[in-house]
Amino acid sequence: MTQESKEGGDSMPHVDEGSLHAYLDGELPSAERKTLEAHLAECASCRAMLAEERALLDRASALLGAARPAERPAPPFEQLRPRATRRSPWRVRTPVAWAASLALALGIGYYLHEPGSQPAASALEQRNLALYRQEDERGRTEPQAEENKPAPVITTRSRPSRNPAAAPAPRVATIPPAHHDSADAAARAGVEGARLDSGAGLSREMDKAAAGVVAMPPPAAQLQPRNAAAAPAARAMETESLMAVEEAARRPRAALPSTTSWPIISRGAAQSLLGTDPVGVPGFARKIRRSPAADGTVVVEQQVDSATTIQIFQRRVADAHLDSSQRVDQLRTYQARDAAPTDRLARYVGRLRVEIAGPLSLDSLNRLLDQVQPLP
Amino acid sequence: MPDDIAEVYRNTYPALVRFLYRKVWDAERAEDLAQEAFARAVVHKPENTRGWLFVVAANMARDEARRAAREKRHLTLLKSEPDAVHSEPEEAIDADRQRSAVRAALEQLTPRDREALLLWDAGMSYDEIAAQTGLARGAIGTTLARARRRLVEAYDAGVEGGGGQHAARG
Repeated sequence: MTQESKEGGDSMPHVDEGSLHAYLDGELPSAERKTLEAHLAECASCRAMLAEERALLDRASALLGAARPAERPAPPFEQLRPRATRRSPWRVRTPVAWAASLALALGIGYYLHEPGSQPAASALEQRNLALYRQEDERGRTEPQAEENKPAPVITTRSRPSRNPAAAPAPRVATIPPAHHDSADAAARAGVEGARLDSGAGLSREMDKAAAGVVAMPPPAAQLQPRNAAAAPAARAMETESLMAVEEAARRPRAALPSTTSWPIISRGAAQSLLGTDPVGVPGFARKIRRSPAADGTVVVEQQVDSATTIQIFQRRVADAHLDSSQRVDQLRTYQARDAAPTDRLARYVGRLRVEIAGPLSLDSLNRLLDQVQPLP
Repeated sequence: MPDDIAEVYRNTYPALVRFLYRKVWDAERAEDLAQEAFARAVVHKPENTRGWLFVVAANMARDEARRAAREKRHLTLLKSEPDAVHSEPEEAIDADRQRSAVRAALEQLTPRDREALLLWDAGMSYDEIAAQTGLARGAIGTTLARARRRLVEAYDAGVEGGGGQHAARG
């Protein structure tokens, strides 16, 4: 470090600049620091050099300081979410769930047109229904078309799974030429379960399904009274569904209902339900509804174009009293969900957990989700 | 035992943003990348969270730079950030000019010198910088001394050139 020179004070550099910088940075190990300080005490030229290096260091720091971003507060830790979607495709709810939704709708329609059908569900049907619902949450399997029954099939083109063991490749069904008619029939039937407002929208979503869009689960609340009607479709799935029972127990998760029957509420009502401003994508007309289940969930429906409605589900997360480790858990949970194929794109906005759904590409949904902010 | 990531987040986030900013030169993007790095840290639970974050951030910034180079034109179209130079106050123009000059000066450093300097400025210790860059710990002081000197020299040279232009325009 120090190049010893007992004479001192001559033109020879006694201390190298690296040591001086380490010294100024407070990073010189203590033994070396003592040696250096002893030398500086005796050597005027090294003291001068120290002053020079200090000025250089200050100057460099000032320059770097001029090239710093405007400091903004860090977002709450629990709002973090991985965005590496360009490199790793989102694992998505496949269109299958949507198909299942439609199956239910058609099933209900079928039921409504059957004068002799039994409203009471048998125990088997109840069980099938539970399986059906779970199946939908899993979004992995497809309803099978039963002979003489208008159960729909739909082409799926799932994104390849990064983990084949965790997500078996979905089977691909053929798309019958009349599928749009089926869709329209469902819409015409006036079935509550049909989620979109128009047959055109429905067709559009059917078309989009082939490109892999996020689909909605069937309305859980509406399943209850009409479960008998859903049984045919459910029965068809039973074989595969049996495997889902255990998973259902392990991974309970409330399905997000469809919203056509949700009461429309004012922004103020939404605000008091959420404890904060409802959020949405600025610039689009909106309709706010609340969950009939009184679970504090609010959905903001927005028309992004004449035929496309997106749904922004939001619910307050009780994070006010969480300590940091719980936040990590929460985030972890979120990420685990993120990796699950049944999940929707979601993020936190302030204290709200926000999920987005709509007949758009994931990229578009993701971009829209990014824009979500408190609505005026 | 892995660090408490929430704690590291509180302490390190601004430094990580700053570090990234000097690489991508876009404040929002730097924030995004920093948040992404933390989100990944939550998943990976590295032993040394801070060190890991800076490695990941450096890699992301490198990828980002490559991607940005590819998509430059596209981004220009999309972002359409108002380049309201005319309405900006004089200080803002000066700040911009200075930032550009610092950026240009930083770009004249060798990658290794620049990395060491940015890591130091982000609050890393010599030990951490050594671990990060593969330099010997004893070489960090020398590296930083050189980096600082070159930064200042390159800046002064750039400003003299730029100042000349400015004077000519004025």
